[in-house]
Amino acid sequence: MTTEMGNKLARLIPEATLSDKLDPKLDSSSQRRIGDQLRAMYDELMQQPVPDRFKDLLEQLEKSNRSRADETGKGQAEGPQ
Amino acid sequence: MTPEPELREALLAAVPSLRAFAISLSGQVDRADDLVQDTLLRALSNLHRFERGTNLNAWLFTILRNLFHSEYRKRRREVEDPDGSYAGRLKVQPEQGSRLDFEDFRSALAKLPSDQREALLLVGASGFSYEEAAHICGCAVGTIKSRVNRARFRLASLLNVDDVDDLGPDSMTRAALQG
Repeated sequence: MTTEMGNKLARLIPEATLSDKLDPKLDSSSQRRIGDQLRAMYDELMQQPVPDRFKDLLEQLEKSNRSRADETGKGQAEGPQ
Repeated sequence: MTPEPELREALLAAVPSLRAFAISLSGQVDRADDLVQDTLLRALSNLHRFERGTNLNAWLFTILRNLFHSEYRKRRREVEDPDGSYAGRLKVQPEQGSRLDFEDFRSALAKLPSDQREALLLVGASGFSYEEAAHICGCAVGTIKSRVNRARFRLASLLNVDDVDDLGPDSMTRAALQG
């Protein structure tokens, strides 16, 4: 059903507007609408709070590194350039 | 591999965009969070390979993307995992109480081949240039452009973006589309 739709749409695009590689191209308003929806969906994901597991993970790693550096002495933490 | 406070902040700051990419790519929040965690661990143990002053986000996205694909290949060998199952999994909403309804968009996105989905997400949502996206995916710039075009075109037809009111310059076109 949807592929049929796609095929009909594809036939409507004049050949002259196809890119060199014959990729389908959308008219600019459809392209804008797709882009807007994509960003809206994505923004919502971006706005979700960062799960604590990531903060905890990075803090833990920092702590364990610091204590290891303390044990093995200074200089180990930085490492050679 | 000491995560200095500055670096830790930078990694934490990258988490929301890594998660958004991973969720959109995999369609599963749990799996996405595991991917992000693996990405952070991988990044920290490979910090010596990161060139300071270059784009940290692009580097992290490269790691995540490679992890996703190696895991996907592994799974594929274990279980037959045709594209259709992704659409089913995607019905799981990332968070309860989603304000807006992106269900249609999500399921259309899920129907794209993964290389097209990935290219579109990098360029159209994550804010990378075509060049950066090509670098992240390890392919030519022209390949990324082509995948993005195909992805947009396919989404438009899946979502019937064209049938609203502003595709056709004439009503015959629209009538043909609706017929």
